[in-house]
Amino acid sequence: MEIAKKKRNYNRHRFELLDAIILIILLAFATIIVVPFISVIGTSFATQKEALESTLLIIPKNPTIDNYYRLFQDPRIGIGYKTTFLILLIGVPLNMFLTTSLAYGLSRTNYPGAKFMFYAILLTMLFNGGIVPLYLLMLELGIANTLWSVILAYGVNTFYFIIMRTYMISLPEALVESAKIDGAGEWRILFKIILPISKPILATVLLFYAVDRWNEWFNAMIFLRRKDLIPLQLVLRNIVMDSSIMDSLSIAGPRIPRFTEGIQSATIMVVMVPVMCFFPFLQRYFVKGIMIGAVKA
Amino acid sequence: MMSQASGYVDKPDFKSRIARIWVNVQKNRERYILVLPGLVWYAIFAYIPIYGLSLAFKKFIAKLGIFGSPWIGLYNFRNVFQDPSFVESILTTLIINVGRLIFVFPFPIFLALIINELRLNRTKKILQSIYTFPHFLSWVIVASVMINILGQKGLVNSFLGMFFNIEPISFLGTPSYFRPLLYITDAWKGAGWSAIIYMASISGIDVEQYEAAEIDGASRLQRMWHITLPGIKSTIVVLFILAVGNLMSGGFDQIFNLSNPATIKVAETLDMYIYRITFSGSVDFSFSSAVALFRSVVNLVLLLVADRVIRRIDGSGLLG
Repeated sequence: MEIAKKKRNYNRHRFELLDAIILIILLAFATIIVVPFISVIGTSFATQKEALESTLLIIPKNPTIDNYYRLFQDPRIGIGYKTTFLILLIGVPLNMFLTTSLAYGLSRTNYPGAKFMFYAILLTMLFNGGIVPLYLLMLELGIANTLWSVILAYGVNTFYFIIMRTYMISLPEALVESAKIDGAGEWRILFKIILPISKPILATVLLFYAVDRWNEWFNAMIFLRRKDLIPLQLVLRNIVMDSSIMDSLSIAGPRIPRFTEGIQSATIMVVMVPVMCFFPFLQRYFVKGIMIGAVKA
Repeated sequence: MMSQASGYVDKPDFKSRIARIWVNVQKNRERYILVLPGLVWYAIFAYIPIYGLSLAFKKFIAKLGIFGSPWIGLYNFRNVFQDPSFVESILTTLIINVGRLIFVFPFPIFLALIINELRLNRTKKILQSIYTFPHFLSWVIVASVMINILGQKGLVNSFLGMFFNIEPISFLGTPSYFRPLLYITDAWKGAGWSAIIYMASISGIDVEQYEAAEIDGASRLQRMWHITLPGIKSTIVVLFILAVGNLMSGGFDQIFNLSNPATIKVAETLDMYIYRITFSGSVDFSFSSAVALFRSVVNLVLLLVADRVIRRIDGSGLLG
C-alpha cells in the first residue's frame, strides 16, 4: 500500500524535455515496427498496376481483394490450412497432456526415482541430438512423411514444463493431502483439484504451445516430403522465397512471372492474421508466464 | 550413507533398504503412471537422438540403422576437421554471434530503461503491445515481411528514392549488408520481448532509492544511470552470459529464411552447414552426426562455463 502510494508520488511530475525525447524515441521504434505491417496490408489490397507504378505505396487508392481471390485459387493455401489445423488440433492437446501430467507428477520429488527423472529431463536442455538423429529416428519408426512425425517431434517443451511445475509446487500441499485422505487417486486429484486452480498457468502454456504449433515449419520441412501435406508457414515460404530468389540474383533477361508482390503480401496476411487475432489473449498471459519462467531459467 | 565398516551389519541393512524403497514405490504407484507418458516421450524423442549421435563414431548403413551400423572410431571426425567449409562455418557463426552481443544485446536494455521513464501509462501499454507482437511471429513470416519491404520496389527503396534520390539498393542480395540486416531484424523482432525481462527486474528496485536520490538533487538521467542500471545489473549479467553460452548456435531460423544464394557465403553458420550437408546433395549421415556431436559438445561446454561464471558473480548458478 505504502509503496504504491510512493510510486504514484514519484510519478507525478511535469512533462519536461526528457519526456518528449523519450516519447519521440519510443514512437519512432513503434513506427518502425508498425509500418512494415501496414505496407504489407496495403500491398495485399493493391492492384498489380499500382504496386508497380506508385513510388511509395502504403495505402492503396483503389483497394481490391483480387490478390486474395487469386491466392485462394492456389490449392496450397487449402492444404496449408488443413495441415496446420491438424497439427494444432492433435498436437496442442498432446503437448498439454504430456506437460501437465509430467509437471504434476514431478511437482513432489519425495518418492524413489523422482529426482533422477527430473534431472534427466533437465539434461535435455543442456544436451540434445539435434535434427540429424531425430530425422533418422523418424525414418526408423516409419513415421517420416506423415503428420505424426511433426506432431510427436515436439511433445514436451522443457522450459514450459519447468514453468508449470514451478507453479504447481507453489500450490498449498494441504489441498492434495486432504483429497488423499478422502481416498482420491492421483489422476483424480490432478483433474479435480490441481487443474482448476492452475488455470492461469494452463492458459499461458496452452497459448505458448498453440503459437509454437502455428509457427512450426522446420520439422515439417525436414520430415514431410509430400505435396498434399504442407503447413501454412511452408506454403508462405515457398511462395515468397521462391520468387525472391529470382529478385535477389537479379539476373538480366526475361523475368519469370511468378507471384506478384500483391499475392505475396496476401499470403503473409493469411498466415499472420490468426496470430494477430489471438495476440490480445496472448498478451494477457505472457507477462505472467515469462515472470514465472524468469525465476528459474 | 550406509556403514561401510562391517559387512556383517551391511547385509540386512541393505535388504531392508531395498524393501523400504519397494514399499515406497508401491505406495506411489499412481505417480509413476502419471509421469509415464511424458517420460516415454523424452526417452524416445530426446534420448534416442542423443544416443543417435553415436553415429559420429560409426559408418551409417541405412539397412542396419542407428543401432546396427558398425563402429569405425574417429574416422568421421578426421574428415570433418579437414573440410574447409566446416572451419569456415565456425568462424562465420562466431563473427555473427559476437556482432549480436555488441549490436543487438544492449538494445532491449536501453528500451526497457526508457520505457520505464515514460510517464504516460496508457501509451506505455500500447507501445509495449506493439513492441512484443513480432516476437510471436515465425521467422518465415518476419523474413517474408522484410523481403517485401526491402525488395527493389519495396517500401525502403521507395522511401530512399523519394527523399534522398538514391537508386534502389539490393539489401538482400548484397553480402556486405547481410550481417547488419541480421542485427536489425533481430532487434526488430525480439527487443520488445527481451525488454519485458528487464522491465520485470526494474520493477523490483526499491522506490525509496529514487526518492533519496531526488532529495539529493540527482537528475533523472543520473537516476537512470546510477540507480536503475545498477539495479538490473545481475539480470544483464545473467542474460549476457547465457548469450555467450549460445555463441555457437542460435539464429538458424532467421539466417535460413533471410539468406539466399547471393549471400550464402556470409550466411553459412554451423547450423546452416549441418543443414546443407545433411539435407541436400550427397548425404553422409555419419559425417553429419560427427558435426552435430561436435556442436552439441561445444554448446554444453560453453553453457557449463557460463554457469560457472554466473555462480562466481551471482552466488547461484543457472542450473540450480
